[in-house]
Amino acid sequence: MQIFIPLLLGIMLGYVLRRLGKRPNLSGITSAVLLLMIFLLGTKTGEVQVDSFWLLSVSLVFAILTAAGSLLMVVKA
Amino acid sequence: MRFLYFVLTALIAGVVVGHYLSPEFGNAYELMLYLLIFLIGLDLGMNFRITDLKKVGKSAVIMPFLTIIGSLFGALLASVILGVPLKWGLAVGAGCGWYSLTGPLIAQYSVVYGAVGFLANLLREILTIILYPVLARRISPEKAVVLGGATTMDTTLPIIASFGGREVALVAFVHGFILTAIVPFLVPLVLSLFDY
Repeated sequence: MQIFIPLLLGIMLGYVLRRLGKRPNLSGITSAVLLLMIFLLGTKTGEVQVDSFWLLSVSLVFAILTAAGSLLMVVKA
Repeated sequence: MRFLYFVLTALIAGVVVGHYLSPEFGNAYELMLYLLIFLIGLDLGMNFRITDLKKVGKSAVIMPFLTIIGSLFGALLASVILGVPLKWGLAVGAGCGWYSLTGPLIAQYSVVYGAVGFLANLLREILTIILYPVLARRISPEKAVVLGGATTMDTTLPIIASFGGREVALVAFVHGFILTAIVPFLVPLVLSLFDY
């Protein structure tokens, strides 16, 4: 739940910056942080003995069923 | 599309480095996660305006909530079929395609399911790029937007705009916009609900 602290701090600071009429471009730093974090996530995953076939097949089932669930919900609504 | 290649390269490089070298990065991962969450909040605070939602129809505002419910139902079914604990399965589904947020958030508690959260949501984005042009014709360009989940305001928006048209692009943007505001709260909430 402590993840909410940086999120709320960011929202508040972003709101203040908007009120002040300042809009820094965040895309570069966000992309850099994201890629570094994905690399670190990869190193953590690489250290764990996990069956890559299992990982891919489980992920694919989740991807298909979550997308299909959203689609069905909207079509039926 | 090019950024997707960077993402895949970073992930594969990380897995290879982690597997063969097992480097010690301390708490760099957590620091990066908090920095990313802060930047997401900053972006939301600077750009989120309730008044923007009034530009599109009521159904477009309701659609993201149907996307979440459907995604959670799909994740529930996948968890039951695969024997994955509900805590991890629902958290994966709550990500609604936002792989860069869902994977790291789950990885705080489980590295394996963090990887599933990352890859499943990345595959959802790839599936959207492949299937949207087909489903837009078969179902409806507007309804098929839900496939992309939270990605419909950025990475999958060009493909939706190309095959769905300008009006659908606005719906897709609002759809992704609302989900982008909800998912950072929803995934930790799902994880904490099962934190017993």
